[in-house]
Amino acid sequence: MNALARHRRLTAIWSSNPGWKGWFSTVNHNDLGLMFLVTAFFYFLIGGVLAMLIRAQLATPRSAFAGPEIYGQLFTMHGVIMMFLFAIPAIEGLAIYLLPKMLGTRDMAYPRLTAYGYWCYFFGGAMLLVSLLFGIAPDSGWFMYPPLTGRIYSPGINTDFWLIGITFVEISAICAAVELTVSILRYRAPGMSLGRMPIFAWYILVVALMILTGFPPLILGSILLELERAFGMPFFQVELGGDSLLWQHLFWLFGHPEVYIIFLPAAGVISTILPVMSSTTLLGYRWVVAATVALAILSFGLWVHHMFTTGIPHMGLAFFSAASTLVAVPTAVQVFAWIGTMWKGTPRLLLPMLYILGFFVTFVIGGLTGVMVAVVPFDWQVHDTAFVTAHLHYVLFGGFVFPLLAGLYYWLPLATGRKRYFRLGQVAFALIFVGFHVTFLAMHWVGLMGQRRRISTYGPEDGWTAINLISSIGGFVLAFGLVIVLLEVVLNVIVRHRSLRNPWRSGTLEWATTMPAPAYNFASLPQVNSREPLWDDPNLPTRIARGEFYLGDPANGQRETLIVDIATGTPQQHVVYPNNTRLPICMAAVTGIFFLSILLKVFWLAPFAMVGVATLAMRWAWTLGSKKDLGDQPIGRGVLVPNIAEVDRPPGWWGSAFLLVANATLFGSLLFGYAFLWTIAPGWPPPFFVTPSALVLITAIIGMAAAVAGIGHAVSSNRRGAKPVAGLLIALAGIAALGVSLLAFLTMAPSPTSHAYGATLWVLGSYGLVHVLVAALMLVFLLLRQQAGYMSSQRRAELAVAPLWIGYLCVTTALILFCAYLPGMVA
Amino acid sequence: MRDLLRILVSPFVWLAAFSAVYGLHGILCEIDLGATFAGASWRRLSLAIAFSLAILVQVVLLMMLHSDRFGAAPGFSRAVSRASGWVGLVAVLWTLFPVLTTTTCG
Amino acid sequence: MAAVVSGCAGPLSTLDPGGPATRTIANLWWVMLLGAMAIFALVVALLALAFRSGRAPRTQVASERVWIVGLGLAFPAAVLLSLLAYGLWAGERLLPREAADVARVHAQAERWSWTFSYDDAPGRTTTDILHIPASRPVDVAITTTDVIHSFWVPRLAGKLDAIPGHVNVLRLEADVAGTYAGLSAEYSGPGYDRHSFTVIAHTPDSWRAFLEVDE
Repeated sequence: MNALARHRRLTAIWSSNPGWKGWFSTVNHNDLGLMFLVTAFFYFLIGGVLAMLIRAQLATPRSAFAGPEIYGQLFTMHGVIMMFLFAIPAIEGLAIYLLPKMLGTRDMAYPRLTAYGYWCYFFGGAMLLVSLLFGIAPDSGWFMYPPLTGRIYSPGINTDFWLIGITFVEISAICAAVELTVSILRYRAPGMSLGRMPIFAWYILVVALMILTGFPPLILGSILLELERAFGMPFFQVELGGDSLLWQHLFWLFGHPEVYIIFLPAAGVISTILPVMSSTTLLGYRWVVAATVALAILSFGLWVHHMFTTGIPHMGLAFFSAASTLVAVPTAVQVFAWIGTMWKGTPRLLLPMLYILGFFVTFVIGGLTGVMVAVVPFDWQVHDTAFVTAHLHYVLFGGFVFPLLAGLYYWLPLATGRKRYFRLGQVAFALIFVGFHVTFLAMHWVGLMGQRRRISTYGPEDGWTAINLISSIGGFVLAFGLVIVLLEVVLNVIVRHRSLRNPWRSGTLEWATTMPAPAYNFASLPQVNSREPLWDDPNLPTRIARGEFYLGDPANGQRETLIVDIATGTPQQHVVYPNNTRLPICMAAVTGIFFLSILLKVFWLAPFAMVGVATLAMRWAWTLGSKKDLGDQPIGRGVLVPNIAEVDRPPGWWGSAFLLVANATLFGSLLFGYAFLWTIAPGWPPPFFVTPSALVLITAIIGMAAAVAGIGHAVSSNRRGAKPVAGLLIALAGIAALGVSLLAFLTMAPSPTSHAYGATLWVLGSYGLVHVLVAALMLVFLLLRQQAGYMSSQRRAELAVAPLWIGYLCVTTALILFCAYLPGMVA
Repeated sequence: MRDLLRILVSPFVWLAAFSAVYGLHGILCEIDLGATFAGASWRRLSLAIAFSLAILVQVVLLMMLHSDRFGAAPGFSRAVSRASGWVGLVAVLWTLFPVLTTTTCG
Repeated sequence: MAAVVSGCAGPLSTLDPGGPATRTIANLWWVMLLGAMAIFALVVALLALAFRSGRAPRTQVASERVWIVGLGLAFPAAVLLSLLAYGLWAGERLLPREAADVARVHAQAERWSWTFSYDDAPGRTTTDILHIPASRPVDVAITTTDVIHSFWVPRLAGKLDAIPGHVNVLRLEADVAGTYAGLSAEYSGPGYDRHSFTVIAHTPDSWRAFLEVDE
């Protein structure tokens, strides 16, 4: 088979359905990555228009352009759209599009999950867009502090759009994070050890782990606030034992890592492009990896620096002030590693490099003002003023948009296969750079002069008129520059001007594909021996296309790839992916019905939607696996590895493990909230604490013992070749006992609406019950699969996932009961 | 996976210690024992003990990362895990020293 | 410099300090601004120099020592630790410590007004005007009856939030008698723009007169 025939054969196997209908059933990361990016840039445009309206309103004093009610929607939605509907999805899109190519593999770990994540983003974003069009958008600021967002002060549906729409969109972030983690750890080219990974993969790995642990506090906060609004469970109402500060803690537990979740992928873009622009390798690769890890974990210890003015004792503030200065050190390591890289090589002033220079100037200023606001007394003055608005735009525009534009111009030839024809990018850069600094540099000053953020107007006597007018003019120059970028991208797609392969002479694998990249990426998966495989062997693209490496023979007509060992990159498992399907979009739509039913208060519909999601999820999992033993698979070059159906830890195990990390963070945040209310909230203790019940505890212990023993027995008997049915049934009975125990616990709990204590116990109990349902469904699924003949002593992967969830359920139930009874035992 | 854990463990333990000391501080400021010991308040003493424990744990981790028995094999993972071991120790010292210097509950 | 400082005057300017607290913070700002400008100049210079031609190539190891250990770790660590110590020292000076001559007042926010009461004149309340003695430390006990607000008199002290169910105490002091503009600085809904108040600092005589007026 020659290269062209192989290409045709692989394209037939991998390509999406033709035409626009293919978008709805595609599961290919090439399509979905670009769909994420295009949608994200659409929201960037909307968010930009809102920014222009804000600047139009503030351009002159006593402006009557938008009243305070409309203005509240404008600044809230500007923040919400830029953070949740532009920045995070753009990162997901970039990572999903690029990583499989950089890592030398053919797709992400869970192609259908990529699609499900996209459609959740699409539908969730649409909900927020609809609210904006009808003038009922969220209007209390993007961080939504209660009690302003509570039922009393925000009775309308506006706030619910935020809570429900954003939670829906967060599902896509969690999905993307799970599969990016698993993909980077396990789906790489043979020989690509951890130390040989492209630096971008390290950044995204760290960011994915941050999303898994950073987003759950926000999801929990949104659930609690929606429960308060919809059902009167008073988590944030001080009169009933709640505390509005709890929201601030939960929000910023998410909100600060979020800043680094946005910055780090952009830093990964810089670390990838800058060495290529300087014709050299990154200075201090190991240092940069260590700095990234340090930055990521340190960023979880900064959240209180958004709360310096809430009256926390000085020592508490000092911890966070210190941590906020410390986090500048790993940032400095990266900045100087980049400048050192330029000194090491010979920097070329190509277009992406211009945007990188724009990044340096802007981001360094943002970092320096960031250190300033980390100093507690200074923050007491500038908190909630235009100074902070200016600072955060320097960090986010400088640290995210400039690198993203550098990346856009750098990877555009890869996505389109075209060269730029008109030289618009340089003009755009000049306008963006000048416009940005004119807009925001002076804004620091007006903040120091006392202009608060979020005011809709001001008087001429305040002395801010000139600065605001200059700022608004700068804003429009900036917007004009961004429109030119858009124009150039459109022209690039339209005008046929074919680019050479690897136009920047880069060393990483994404440039080893043909351009634009084919649906299967690589005709054979290359053996990698260094961080720059294309510099080692300039002939590598041809050898890949000739099928000289792994999986070069598409004979069996399946979408195949490899799983490798995490540390060394040795091939370990053979993967067959599912084909195109509309299942993800259907499941996202049914998930959307669930969220809509809560939003519109049609609560009877919610359980039906949940049943729908569960049914589709079972259908989803049913299509995997095999009814006969496969044996070791030849993957080329004389190597044999087992199929993922015949291993102890299949991809589903890894995905579940990381999903449970996110889940455990959510649960941990809930316990934190409980402890916070117990110790800090003014309205405690409640009228009475529940006391331990023998019925609840004994049923729970019996349930846990039966569940663990049952599933253990099922796994071991299946391995021996015996039927696992008895074990599964015992486990199911155990799960049922746990359900009974939790239900009994809830019947003894105080009313969820009278005090935050009762409300918290109800959430704890319900959390356990949801997991009882999940575990029960898994066991029923396994019984059905066993009947249908999908299990054997060889095909043991089926039984890998349920033990994880059952173990998790047992641990959380124990913790729920312990924590629920603790105050009663202490008192 | 083990190499990844070696890289993550020290900063992660810092995060746990940092949150624990912050939580302990919050609780100590809610209860008033009033007692003093050798001129230092009971609150500051508890916090200082927690601080010392956190330093001790980080030193032990750093020594483990440098040992042949628990450390990574020579190469990329060893270099990065040792660097992040130092990050953990420095972070504990840098972020928790206020327990000795600033006003406890004012 | 004088021209710059004179441009800082304004009823709401944080850089036109009217008391010891804001003077401490304004000094902190000027120190940080100069330091930040020097560091920014250094970074830009290093970037520009990277583009000059005919540089001798360096070995990677030597570069790592200079760029990462020197400039990336040691340099920021030294700068940041000094700044942190300065900031914590300044923060300690601003705390509401026990003192003999402290006047105590209460500020209660609601949408969109402020009600003030006085320990020295029990039963006495004022709306949107806070009276304080000049040249004496004043502790303001801040709370709210509805949503979160923030008490901020930019020329006299930093801001402190009014949070339902909590009382936060802010120390402020005016050097001289006069009128100072105050703002609520946490978004609170459509009336936020005009949610402001005035602080009147009295001379000892007029403060006594204020306290003794019978309503």
